[in-house]
Amino acid sequence: MTILTLAARNLTRNKTRVVLTVLGVGVAVLAFMLIRVVVWAWSMGGEVAAKDRIGTRDKITFVNRLPLRYAQDLKDAAAPLGVTHVTYMDWFGGKDPRNDSLFFGAFAVDHATFLDVYNELSISPEARERWKSDPQAALVGKNLAKKLQVKEGDKITLISPIYPGDWEFHVAAVYRSTAKSFDESSFIFRWDYLNNNKALPASQKDRIGWLAAKLTDPGRSAEISKAIDKAFDDRDQQTLSMSERDLNTSFVGMVAAVLQILNIASFVILLILGLILGNTIAMGVRERTYEHGVLRALGFMPRHITMFVVAEALFIGALGGAFGLALAYALVGAIGPRVVEDFGAMFPFFEITPPSALVGFGLALLAGLISSLIPSYRASRLEVVNALRRIG
Amino acid sequence: MAEAKPEAKQAEDKGPYRTPAPEPKAIVRLTGIDKTFWRGKEPVKVLENLDLDVPDGSFEALMGPSGSGKSTLLNLIAGLDRPTKGSIVVDGQDIAKLSDGDLAQWRSRTIGFIFQAYNLMPVLTAAQNVELPLLLTHLGRAERKRRVEIALRAVGLEDRMQHYPKQLSGGQEQRVAIARAIVNDPKIIVADEPTGDLDRQSADDVLTLLEKLNKEFKKTIFMVTHDPHAAERASVVRKLDKGALQ
Repeated sequence: MTILTLAARNLTRNKTRVVLTVLGVGVAVLAFMLIRVVVWAWSMGGEVAAKDRIGTRDKITFVNRLPLRYAQDLKDAAAPLGVTHVTYMDWFGGKDPRNDSLFFGAFAVDHATFLDVYNELSISPEARERWKSDPQAALVGKNLAKKLQVKEGDKITLISPIYPGDWEFHVAAVYRSTAKSFDESSFIFRWDYLNNNKALPASQKDRIGWLAAKLTDPGRSAEISKAIDKAFDDRDQQTLSMSERDLNTSFVGMVAAVLQILNIASFVILLILGLILGNTIAMGVRERTYEHGVLRALGFMPRHITMFVVAEALFIGALGGAFGLALAYALVGAIGPRVVEDFGAMFPFFEITPPSALVGFGLALLAGLISSLIPSYRASRLEVVNALRRIG
Repeated sequence: MAEAKPEAKQAEDKGPYRTPAPEPKAIVRLTGIDKTFWRGKEPVKVLENLDLDVPDGSFEALMGPSGSGKSTLLNLIAGLDRPTKGSIVVDGQDIAKLSDGDLAQWRSRTIGFIFQAYNLMPVLTAAQNVELPLLLTHLGRAERKRRVEIALRAVGLEDRMQHYPKQLSGGQEQRVAIARAIVNDPKIIVADEPTGDLDRQSADDVLTLLEKLNKEFKKTIFMVTHDPHAAERASVVRKLDKGALQ
């Protein structure tokens, strides 16, 4: 037997309480890990962006749409700087009327240039032909096609909260993506189909959401972005150009408040974790005051008592941390692939990275350590005679 | 004032021709001890100007009403508490001058404790409970095991080594506590109401064991008790009342 054995044996003293505490710590670690996974995955959207693309949007907000002529103007301004292709697109906000709870990204794009700029989309030459010749053609991501239950050659009708009416499309291709920079859960259709719709008000005609340009030299993206914005400086509507990474990040920035709340929530969970542990440790120490007095009488030093209490808290923290991590790995392992499949645009990854697992486990240990500081200090400072409470 | 047992008195009454036995050296010497506790701003004097010599190898019982200061005196002798005034010399060491750390080490070497409620660790086996004081020494695992076996054999519990306290009777628990008290081979054993929680038979067994430790192993035993039957087994009975020895 060693002194540490005694500390470990103390865990078996009140098994129900220890098990409940370990479960509590485990669930807190699980919640913390899930939030960290979401925050990390969300912020990774910028990391997987193509480095050789820049995006251009209205200077003030995404919501303000740009005039169509900006596409040509941008090409003229940026071509000498090494921009090989320019395309444009718009948010459609499409929904499947058969299943309106299904969320997916639907974009109206310039069919002539889109696949040159987003060349990670893989479709067959026949599909490419159908895409060029049919105004109602649509490219449906592999994962989304499964959910919409469509295949090449099928017709599908979508509705949109922005553009009223039923919009019928012909599935020209079910695309795959060769890179994480474009997900396989989007619905892509031709912008001219949208723009030529007779029901579209005149004010909405010839307007585009944003532009994307492909560069020959990714290292010049900042310089080219600056040059593009300068070219539109004296227009009614100024632009804001940035690398695709920054563009994605700025989109994430729109939900920064949500991320901030999630961040705060994750630390509130840590606080709860600390309180759960602290309560258990404090109760254990209170109940064992007399025993601590006996140990001190036998010659054990205050530092030994501190060690017993801290070691016990660390054991519980470690057990809870390991249990929480195991739960988190199991849960994220089970739902992660589905999240990536369904929400690939937002969550290109949904997994626990080894560093974040270490952080989760480390924080459980840290919570154990911190929660034991006051009880262990008090236990070690107690006078032997007071601990024994025997004044005859 | 101490009451000597009848046989001791007989020996003293044999007349002037008998060579008097040399007075045993005092292993515990308390001189001018005061002990005051504070209840808020109110001082409570528990012991006042107390002198006490406990001879080496004696078995002394200390009796007195509740609140008389028995346990306080026991705690002072055992180095668990410090006097407000006076000196305590135990086995040649003025323990009032020791730092808290040195005092703890001194206790682990010099004093064996027996408590009324046994105070065994419920999560440890009998052998592990007995081994506790040895964890503070530099002894190796094998030597610790050997000493634990000897101590448990001395109290007649060699067949209960792997039992947990809840699997033992009260008397057996107290015998494990006695084994824990002697495993370090201390010179002095202090016992605070060692039979207080036991039935008569178990109490007798424990007292027989204490007698054996005193006579065969030459341990000095200082026992606080309320029980006159327990006090009868000691060679000297002292009475404490209102902080003074009678």
